[in-house]
Amino acid sequence: MKIKLRHAVILGLALIAAGFSIFFIKAAILHYPLEPGARATLWDFELFLEFDGQNEPARIEAYVPATDVERAFPQERFYNGSFGLSLVGEPETRNRKAVWTYRYPSNRKVLRYAAQTLGETKSTPLPLSFRESGPGPVPFEADPVKRQAFIVWSGNLRQRSADDRSFADLAIAETFGERTGSEQYADEISALLDQDVGVVGRLELVRQLLRSQGVPARIAGGVYLGETRRRLETHRWLEYHIDGDDFRYFPDGEPSRFFTIWYGTKPLVEAYGVSDLDVQLGTRALETAAANIAENAPGPFGAFGRAFGFSGLPLTTQLVYQVLITIPVGITILVFLRQFIGFKTLGTFMPVLIGIAFRETALINGILLFSLLIAAGLALRFYLERLQLLLVPRLAVVLIFIVMMMAAVAVLMTETNQAMGLSISLFPMVILTMTIERMSIVWEENSASEAIKQGIGSLAIAAITYLAMTNGQVEYLMYRFPELLLVLMGLCVLMGRYTGLRLSELWRFKALAG
Amino acid sequence: MLNTFKALRANGVIGINERNVKYVNALNPRKFLVRVDDKFLTKELAAPAGIPTPELYGVIKDARDMKRLPEFIDHPDGFVIKPAQGSQGKGIIVVDGPLKGGWRLSSGRRIDLDTMKFQINNMLSGMYSLGGQPDKALIEYRVKFDDVFGKVSYRGVPDIRVIVVKGIPVFGMLRLPTAESDGKANLHKGGVGCGIDLATGRTMRAMQHDQFIDIHPDTAHPLEDIQTPYWDDILLMAAKCYEVTGLGYLGVDVVLDRDKGPMLLELNARPGISIQIANRKGLRYVLEKAMALGDEARSPEARIEIAKTLSDTAPEKPAMIEPAGA
Repeated sequence: MKIKLRHAVILGLALIAAGFSIFFIKAAILHYPLEPGARATLWDFELFLEFDGQNEPARIEAYVPATDVERAFPQERFYNGSFGLSLVGEPETRNRKAVWTYRYPSNRKVLRYAAQTLGETKSTPLPLSFRESGPGPVPFEADPVKRQAFIVWSGNLRQRSADDRSFADLAIAETFGERTGSEQYADEISALLDQDVGVVGRLELVRQLLRSQGVPARIAGGVYLGETRRRLETHRWLEYHIDGDDFRYFPDGEPSRFFTIWYGTKPLVEAYGVSDLDVQLGTRALETAAANIAENAPGPFGAFGRAFGFSGLPLTTQLVYQVLITIPVGITILVFLRQFIGFKTLGTFMPVLIGIAFRETALINGILLFSLLIAAGLALRFYLERLQLLLVPRLAVVLIFIVMMMAAVAVLMTETNQAMGLSISLFPMVILTMTIERMSIVWEENSASEAIKQGIGSLAIAAITYLAMTNGQVEYLMYRFPELLLVLMGLCVLMGRYTGLRLSELWRFKALAG
Repeated sequence: MLNTFKALRANGVIGINERNVKYVNALNPRKFLVRVDDKFLTKELAAPAGIPTPELYGVIKDARDMKRLPEFIDHPDGFVIKPAQGSQGKGIIVVDGPLKGGWRLSSGRRIDLDTMKFQINNMLSGMYSLGGQPDKALIEYRVKFDDVFGKVSYRGVPDIRVIVVKGIPVFGMLRLPTAESDGKANLHKGGVGCGIDLATGRTMRAMQHDQFIDIHPDTAHPLEDIQTPYWDDILLMAAKCYEVTGLGYLGVDVVLDRDKGPMLLELNARPGISIQIANRKGLRYVLEKAMALGDEARSPEARIEIAKTLSDTAPEKPAMIEPAGA
C-alpha cells in the first residue's frame, strides 16, 4: 500500500520534473518565447565581391562570421562560381576565413557569402575563453622610440587611474580625443600615433595599453544593423573585459544592434591577382516569429529543441497536432473536477469530446445547439421506447434523427447566420447519440433530476475544458512545448492516488461532521 | 468548509477516492470481478459453499431460450427477471403474479408478454451491463419477504447490506424501500438505510437522502431497535463470500425470505459509502483494524468472532485523533 503510494508519487514527480526541465531548457537557454505571436527581427547578411580576373592565379581572402556558441546562423551559403573554396580557421583570433582561389580567371567574376543572424547588442556577452588572457608583452620591439613612449605613457596612465576601468576610460579618451598639443604627454602620444593613423591604429594602441595591464581586449570588425541597405560600411570597435564585466567601445558611434564578422587589425578582404575589386556588404531585415528562430537554432541545443517539437512535420499534420495536443489539458481538468470536486458526468470523457465539438460552433452557440439537439433526441428516444425497438436499431434511429436535425438547423441558420450554419455540420453526432442514450437510461433508472443534473454537469465541464483548450496561451504553450504533456501526465498520476474527500462529499456527509 | 473537511477526517469518513484506491483497487483483483458482476456465476459459486440464493427458474441467452419464457415464468406466486450483469438494481422486473392474461408487477402495474419480451431483449443487448456488452437474463424465485420489517417498509423488498473486508464483516445496514424509491431498496433512489449493530443484529438509527432520520417516512414507524432475524446466519453467509469470490472488499446483499430464511441476492465489488451515514460513523478505523489483522487464514466462524469484537471496540471517535477544528 505505502510502497504503491510512494511509487506513484515518485513517478508523478519525476514526470513533472522531466517535463519542466525540458521546458526550462527550451524557454531559458534556447529562448523559445513563452507567448504566442512574439516577433523578432532576423537579418540577412551578404558579402558580395566583384572583380576582374587577370588571367593569373587569383586568391581572394575574406573573413566570414565566426561561429561561436552564442552566435546562430540558421542558413549560411557560399556562392563560389568556378572558384575553389577553402575555409581556414585562425584559432588565435577565433576568426574564420574564406579563401577563394582560381588559376586563370578572366572577365568579371562574382563571389558571394550569405548568412542569417539575429545580430548582437551591447549586452551580448563576450565568450568565456576570451576573458582568460594574461598580460601581453610590451609592443614595438623594433622601434625603441615608440617602445619608450609607450612605457612612459602607460606608466603615467596607470598613475593617474584608480583601477583598470578608469585606466581604460582614460586611455580611450586620450587616444581618441582631439589633440591640442598642450597635453602633458603630447609628445609620447604623437610619437605613438602617426599623422595618418586611422581608427584601427588608435584602437590597436588602446588594445595594447589594455593588454599591458593584463586586461583581455581585442578589436572587432563588423557591420551595424539598422535599415535594409545594399552598401554598408564596416566598423571597428574594441571589446575588453574587466572584473567580470564586458565592455565595448565604438569609436564610430554606438549602434543599437550590430553583427561581428572578424577580429584583429587586418582588413576584411584581401585579394591577390585581381583588379578593380568591389566589396559590398548588404543587410536586410526579416520580420519573423520569434519561435521559428528558436526552433531553427543550430548546434546540439537547437537539435534538442527540435526533438521536442512538431516543426519537422508536414504543415497539415502540424495543424492537426495543434488541436490534438490541447486535449490532454482538457482531460487533466476533467480529472481534477471529477476527483477533487466531484462533478457528475454522462460518460467518462464525454464532456471533453463535447468541449472539442464546441471548437466548431463557439461556446454559446455550441451550448444552445447541444441542448436543443439533446432535448429533441430525448423526446424521440422516449417515443421510440413505446415502439419497443431493439437497442442497436434504436440508437441508429436516434443518430439518423440527429443528422436530420443538424441538417435542418444548418439550412435554417444559413439564411440568418451563415458561419454558424456551416459550423454545425461538424458537430459530432455519435457523441450526441451516445449522450442521449446514456441520459435516457439515467432518466428512467434513476430520475429525471439526476439525468438533468448529470447533463448540466457534463455541459459545465465541456464549457470549462473548451475554454481551456481554446485559450491562445494554452494552445501556444502546448504546441511549442509538447514536453508539458509529461507534466500533465505526472499531475494525473498524482491525482490518481488522491484518497481524500471530494468537495461534493463534504456536502454529502455533512451529517457526520458533527 | 475546511472545518467540515477536518471533522469528517477525524470521524474516519472515507470518500469514493479512498474506497477505490485503498480497498477496491487494492483488494479486488480484476480477474475475479466477473464472479460478482455476473449474477449467474455468483449463484453457481455460492451454492457449493452452502450459501442459499433465490431458486433459478431459467436463463435466457438468445432468441431460442426466449421461446421457453412462458415455461420459465409459470409460477403463480411471482418471479423476478433481472439482467445477469446489471448494477444498482437497474432493469429488474419484479412480478407478483398473474393478472388478466398478463402479470402484475410489484409496483401494481400490469405487464403483458410482449412488453416483457421487449425488456428481456433490452437486457440481452446489454442496455444494463457495464460497457454495453451482451448479457443474459435470469428468471428466479421472488422473495416473499419476512414480516419482521413489514412496518418499516413501503412495498418492495427490504434487504441487508454487509460490508466484508478480507472476509470480516465490518458494517451492516438494513435497506428499506419507500414510496419515493418505487419499492426499491436503493439508497440513491430515496430508500432508507438503517445501521445495524454488528454484534447483536439490532438496528440503530437511520438515514434517507444523506440526512439522519428516526422514523420511516411513509409508515412513520420508529426505525431503531428492530432485531434482525437470523443475524448470525447472515454474518456467516457474508463472511463465506470472501472464499467464494476471492474479493477482499465486498458488499453482500442478503434478503430475508418468510419461509426460506436469509438468501444471497447479489454481491457488489464497489459497495457504496452512504452506509457510513446510516451507521453514523466513518468506515476508516474499522477498515484499518481489519486490514491490520494480516492475511492469516481463518475460518468464517473465527472471522465473525473478530468482527463482533471489532465493532464492540471500534470507538465512534478514537481518542488519539484530535478533535475537529483543533
